[in-house]
This record gives sequence, C-alpha cells and structure tokens, in this order.
Amino acid sequence: MDPILVVDRVSKSFGSLRAVDDVSLSVEEGEIFGIAGPNGSGKSTLFNIITSIPFPADSGRVVFEGREIQRMRPNRVCRFGLARTFQKETSFDTLSTLDNVILGSTYGRGTDDSAESRKQAGETLEFVGIGTDQFERPAAELSVFDKKRLMIASAIVTEPRVLLLDEPASGLTKPEIDETIDLIRRLNQSGVTLLVIEHVLPLLLTVSARLLVLNHGSELVTGTPDDVIRDPHVVEAYLGSRARHD
Amino acid sequence: MRDLLTGPNLARLICLLILILLPLVVPSPYIRHLLIITFIYAMVASNWDLSLGYAGVFNFGHIAFFAAGCYGSAILSKTIGITPWLTIPLAGIIGVIAALIVCLPVLRLKGIYVVLVTFAFSQLCFQLVLSQEEITGGSMGMPLLPPLKIGDYNFARDGKFGYYYVGLFLLVLSTIYLHRLVRSRFGTSIVALRDNEDYAISRGISLARQRMLTLGLSAFFTGVAGGFYSTYVRVASPEIFGFGFLSLALSMLLLGGLNSIYGPILGAFVITLLSEAMVDLGPMRFLIISALIILMLLFYPGGLNNALQQAYKWSSRSGAAARLFRTNARN
Ligand SMILES: Nc1ncnc2c1ncn2[C@@H]1O[C@H](COP(=O)(O)OP(=O)(O)OP(=O)(O)O)[C@@H](O)[C@H]1O
Ligand SMILES: [Mg+2]
Repeated sequence: MDPILVVDRVSKSFGSLRAVDDVSLSVEEGEIFGIAGPNGSGKSTLFNIITSIPFPADSGRVVFEGREIQRMRPNRVCRFGLARTFQKETSFDTLSTLDNVILGSTYGRGTDDSAESRKQAGETLEFVGIGTDQFERPAAELSVFDKKRLMIASAIVTEPRVLLLDEPASGLTKPEIDETIDLIRRLNQSGVTLLVIEHVLPLLLTVSARLLVLNHGSELVTGTPDDVIRDPHVVEAYLGSRARHD
Repeated sequence: MRDLLTGPNLARLICLLILILLPLVVPSPYIRHLLIITFIYAMVASNWDLSLGYAGVFNFGHIAFFAAGCYGSAILSKTIGITPWLTIPLAGIIGVIAALIVCLPVLRLKGIYVVLVTFAFSQLCFQLVLSQEEITGGSMGMPLLPPLKIGDYNFARDGKFGYYYVGLFLLVLSTIYLHRLVRSRFGTSIVALRDNEDYAISRGISLARQRMLTLGLSAFFTGVAGGFYSTYVRVASPEIFGFGFLSLALSMLLLGGLNSIYGPILGAFVITLLSEAMVDLGPMRFLIISALIILMLLFYPGGLNNALQQAYKWSSRSGAAARLFRTNARN
C-alpha cells in the first residue's frame, strides 16, 4: 500500500540558517512515526512546513493520501485530514474548554449541527481525560497537562487521519507522561496515524515503530528504535563527540 | 423564555423601558437631542467593539464607515431624491462596501500595520470628500438634507420625538444583531483568531475570510448610524472625520469595556452625560474625561461593563441564600 504521508526533500531557511535542509520521510498508514533530535535541530520547523502553519516550505513536496498539499491554504489542511498540535501549550484562552473543542469540530470538520458538535466535543474531552468540571472554565485556567490534552482534543474532533504531535510530553510529570503514552496508543488503535516529535527519547522509543533523527536541520538516521539507539551518529549528536571515545 | 427575564437581560429590558418612557416624562427637547446623539454614538462604539474588541483587529477606519453612511445617505436623499426612510438602511450597505474596500489591503496584515492602513484609509476618504466638491460640497459639506416625514408629519418639527424613537429603535436592532453575532459560532471563531491566530488557522478557520466578515458585519449598523445622523442633523459635514469624533467613540469603547457590546453602549451614555454635566467647564471637560479613562484603564481595564458584572455576581451570590430559602418554602 502507498504511504499515507510522504515528505519529499523539503527545505526551509531563515536567512542564512537552513532550519530544515532537504529532509524526506514517508509514513505508513496506522504507523506511529517518531521524530527526534537535539534542541534547534528543526523538528518543529518540519511540522510547520508540512502543515503550512505558519509558513510553507521553501522547496520540496508534501504528499498526503496521494495529493500534493504543500501549496494548499493552511486552514484547509486540517479539513483535508491532517491536524497538528503545537510545542508550546496553546489554547484559545478566553474561550471555554468546551468551546475550544467545538470550534475544531465546526470549522475543522465542517459540522453544521451545533448539538452534535457539542456532544462530540464532550465525548472527546473525556476521551483525552479532561473532567466535565473543567468544561465551562476558560482554557487559560487549565493546568499544563490539561492544556496539552485540550490541544489534542481539538485536533481529534477534526477527525484527522494523520495527527502531528509536537512534544506532547514536555514539561509533564512521570505519571502524566504515562497517561500521554496511553492516549497516543489509544488514538493509534482508533485508526489515526501519528507523527510524534519528542526531544526526550524514552517516550519515542516506547511508542514509535520507526523514527527519524534530525541534526542541524538534516536527517541523521531513520530506522527502528533499536537501530537508532545503536547508531554512533545519534549518540554523538545527543551527547557530543566525546561520548564515542569514552 | 424564563432565561430572557433574569439577570442581565432583565436589567437591559428595564433600561430599555426607561428609555421608551423617558420622553413622555421629561419635557425638554434638548434632553431628547442629547439622547439621540447618544444612541448614534452607542451604535458606532458597540459595532466597533466587534472588530477592535472581539476580533482584536486594530481597525482605526471605523469612523470612515460611519462617514460613508453619512455621505451616502445624504447623496442618495438630496442629490438623487430617494426618501430618507430608504437611504438610512442603504447607508448600512454603503458602510459595508467601504469596509470591504479597506479589507483588501488588511486581510493578512498584523497589529500596527492594520492601524496604519485603516487610518490612512480614513484620511483618504476625508481627502476624497474634500476634493469631490460637486458631489459632497467639499469643506462646506451638504446642508439642508431632507428630513424624515410621514405624509405631512415632519420629524424635524415635532420636538425631536420622532427621531428619538427611530434612533432608539435602530439602537435596539443593532444591539440584538451584535448580541446574536458574538454568541454565534462566527463570534467564537473571531475570538479564537484573536487569542491565537496560528492555532485557529490550524483548526480550519480562515483568517482572511473571518476578517472580511468581521469588518463587513461591523460596518452595517455603523453605516446606518451615519445615515441616521446626517438625516437627523440635516447636514453631512467633513467634521466627522475629525479627531474629536474618533476619540469620543474610542473613549466610550474603552470606558465601557471591550468585548462586551453593552459596555460601549453604557460608555456612550456615561460620556455624553458627563460631558453635558460639565459643559460650563468648556474644553476642560475633555481633559477630565481623558483623565478618567486613563484611570479606568489603569485600575479597571475591564471597563464599566466588567465592574457592573462583578457587582451583579456579588449581589446574586449574597442573594442566593435568600432565593434558596424561597424555593424551599415553595416546594
Ligand atoms: N520563525 C523563525 N524565524 C527564525 N528562525 C527560526 C524560526 N523558527 C525556527 N527558527 C530556527 O530554526 C532552527 C530550528 O528550530 P526548531 O524550532 O524547528 O527546532 P526544534 O528541533 O523544534 O527545537 P526544540 O527541541 O527546541 O523544540 C532553530 O535554530 C531556530 O532558532
Ligand atoms: Mg520544537
């Protein structure tokens, strides 16, 4: 079967800095695909240019379900079945938690029926683990963990076939990370293909079938978790060149 | 239906009732004149709240939409001869057209650039009005506009009763329109764009489309207010482009509180009445009002509306025990 998402030689520069430099990847339907790399290696920029939010790639192609989307208007990408979260906790602060999710369903999926989107929003919030007592609170008041899950919930209601998660576990406690891993698995079991960026390796090694490691904007290695942790270049990128000699 | 008659809605209905009965009790036509002007300002300020407050679009061309309504209605009624009963609603459409024109350059701009472009648009309209003397009367304006009439009944000669009720009616219409708009999903979507633009776009909301709708929808009753204004004062004059009008409307918006619709309306009443009460102080009164607004913004950025809401919450909390007791007694 054809891969559900193909990223073909994309690049993005900021002035003289090549933040993403000629990166390619392809993700199979139903897969959890990890993206790792040190700080500033271009992981988030890669998500930005895949979704054209806030900017598209300078060059290269993004093919989703067989169609090129790199020139698509950014707000249409999500209707098309490709949704993302952001690295920094992001919410519509002045709207209620429930409204945050309802928006995803009305605009991201095109639900016209407001009763239906309300119901779906409530169910999705419960699915990600946010209690009903939080529904009417302004999103600004939520905890970091709840904000991260809210962002995932507002993506889920758009019914994506591919979901891009940017550091879903950063800043969380150990039990919260475990819940996040569980959520990622449940999402995957419900048929969603996932791309997960994580700066901390253990989470990625646990959930992903394959992963791509970036360094200075370009691909260092792509492979199974086992391949990746044995790769000397990865060790070097993460720990500095001394690690190899010790 | 029960909801309609509780809390803030009840307070609003009582205010409306007072405004309906007021002319029957207060004999002075001057008071009616002041209130008519207040209704117009209230429409301008509360519709401005849609773009400036809810959508967070720094639109400083709002007065140009008002002016477009003023002149549009004046030209249609005086030059072309259409009855003002029609030119006032048509002024709304003219306001929307002005908004759509200014929209094009600001669809995707951010922050300060929106201020620059919209302000420049406003100045451009001003220059246009001055230069097209044959159509607009240039710096003299267009005097002696036809008044509203029903048969032989002339609204310009009835001690301002007619205009009072037409103005109040328009304000009520505009407020219902805004009230429904900000509670619709469109209203939620523009707040979402304001809160976090990239996130909103990533959930399928189109920045360009919603911004165009925001400006267009905020211009309709602003244009209507403009048409009503020039019909009422019977002149369309370039003075409305002046700084006085803009800063007065902005003061009402800020004093009343952004993101509330009712706040700017309240602000319009408070500022008109304040400046009237201090009329003996001459230009000093504007200084006092400005100082008041600065104090308000420093210590109470939510504005009057927010203050009222908190007072209401506080009073209903202390009243809750009493109500509980009453319900129990009934059961
Ligand atoms: N909008 C931008 N303008 C200029 N430079 C940028 C911009 N976005 C990212 N960069 C730069 O591009 C490089 C890659 O950044 P990116 O955020 O993609 O890294 P990352 O791998 O996500 O890092 P982290 O682990 O810290 O999230 C960095 O050097 C960053 O400073
Ligand atoms: Mg990042």
